[in-house]
Amino acid sequence: MGIRDRRVSVPPGPGWADAPGADLAALLGRVARGDAPAFRALYDRVAPAVFGSIRRVVRDPSQSEEVTQEVLVEIWRTASRFDAGKGSAMAWMMTIAHRRAVDRVRSEQRSAERELRAASHAVAYDDVAEEVEATLDGERVRRCLGSLTELQREAVTLAYYGGYTYRQVAGLLGAPTGTVNTRMRDGLIRLRDCLGAGQ
Amino acid sequence: MRTRRPEPHTLSGAYALDALTGADLVRFERHLARCEQCEREIAGLRETAARLGAAAPADPPARLAEQVFAATARTRQLPPASRDRAAPRLPLLARLPRYAGAARSPGPGPDGSPRGGHAGRGGRGRAWPPRLALALGAAGLILAGILGVSARSAEHQLAGDQQRSHTIAAILTAPDATILTARVSDGGTATVVMSGHEHALVFVADGLRPLPASRRYELWLLGPRGDKSAGMLPGASSGMTGPALASGVRTGERIGLSVEPAAGSPHPTSAMLLVLAL
Repeated sequence: MGIRDRRVSVPPGPGWADAPGADLAALLGRVARGDAPAFRALYDRVAPAVFGSIRRVVRDPSQSEEVTQEVLVEIWRTASRFDAGKGSAMAWMMTIAHRRAVDRVRSEQRSAERELRAASHAVAYDDVAEEVEATLDGERVRRCLGSLTELQREAVTLAYYGGYTYRQVAGLLGAPTGTVNTRMRDGLIRLRDCLGAGQ
Repeated sequence: MRTRRPEPHTLSGAYALDALTGADLVRFERHLARCEQCEREIAGLRETAARLGAAAPADPPARLAEQVFAATARTRQLPPASRDRAAPRLPLLARLPRYAGAARSPGPGPDGSPRGGHAGRGGRGRAWPPRLALALGAAGLILAGILGVSARSAEHQLAGDQQRSHTIAAILTAPDATILTARVSDGGTATVVMSGHEHALVFVADGLRPLPASRRYELWLLGPRGDKSAGMLPGASSGMTGPALASGVRTGERIGLSVEPAAGSPHPTSAMLLVLAL
């Protein structure tokens, strides 16, 4: 699944915020009215992006599937809450996906294995950052990430792809939390400007 | 967590990356509710973060689609949000006025089908007597509207529910009542009306993730002497959960929410989805 209608599917090119986004919003509007075929079409359009982003954070394939299912059902359930005036449909859906993914990772971190995992974090984060840059499909995104300072890039990618809190990121990078916050913000702003998104 | 309080503005990046938790998150959302400029900035940063997420698509296994469609076929959709044009991330407090309409609008049709032209369950009006509404004032009226939606369904089940309604009213009308609001990490927004004088609070949540029958939401008082159950939340009605009452509460304590076995747990067995300082 997720292969039909590939030509308008993710990853969005430079026109991300334009036409395809507009009909995603319309599709979501139909989904909000309980239109099952519209939801199937939406699934085909967004499931790969949703699954890809969740898998990157959660890592474990079967858990990633579970979270993806939860997110897609959540999109169905809360479609009426989407407000096109507040942002794009894609951002709304990816926000739900990312929150669910980090929630999953964090509730796991709270389990008994937490201590054990903490010990392996120092190794794991290098992987995360490296793999992200090696496998990103979006040429633009990769290039824009490359334009950040090292600390900005690490702060942003560890938080987004690693699912770490800013305090954990600060710990991993050995930097003060205030610095990490600032780098996350100015890193994202620089990315935003580079990608031309979010005016 | 309390040692260093970051300047709220600098947290917008971390917020857009979902890198804020607990008290940091609560504080930032409170700031956000008052800061239009922040809201615009966050919207832009969210778009950017979404680009990061969508940059690495992967086809999920084919079976996932059928599982998802089977699940959506039995999942009730939230009613169209006359009450909620705001993004779900906004604290409930910021959106309270919108609820005035929602409490009176028809709910979704039976078994989750979105309502068509028909009016849903009839008679969904104000559940609270006018004199109470007067006493509550404008903000209280809105709250009463929220609470009324679920209080009414409780009335059908429990004839002896009046005492409870009185207690709730006493908290809402207490001169020292304060309203706190926060996002529940698993989805939804919680609102707490707390009266230090009454040593009690009213908890209500909107859009909590539905749970299987074997699980329920449990409230906790997180104090210096350990965690104490503050009761189980009732099931949701029209997306609203509550009101739940907790007594023996002191200012300075924290309230938490977790998912527990339906019978309740003496101590939390899963991660807190919400922690709110009272």
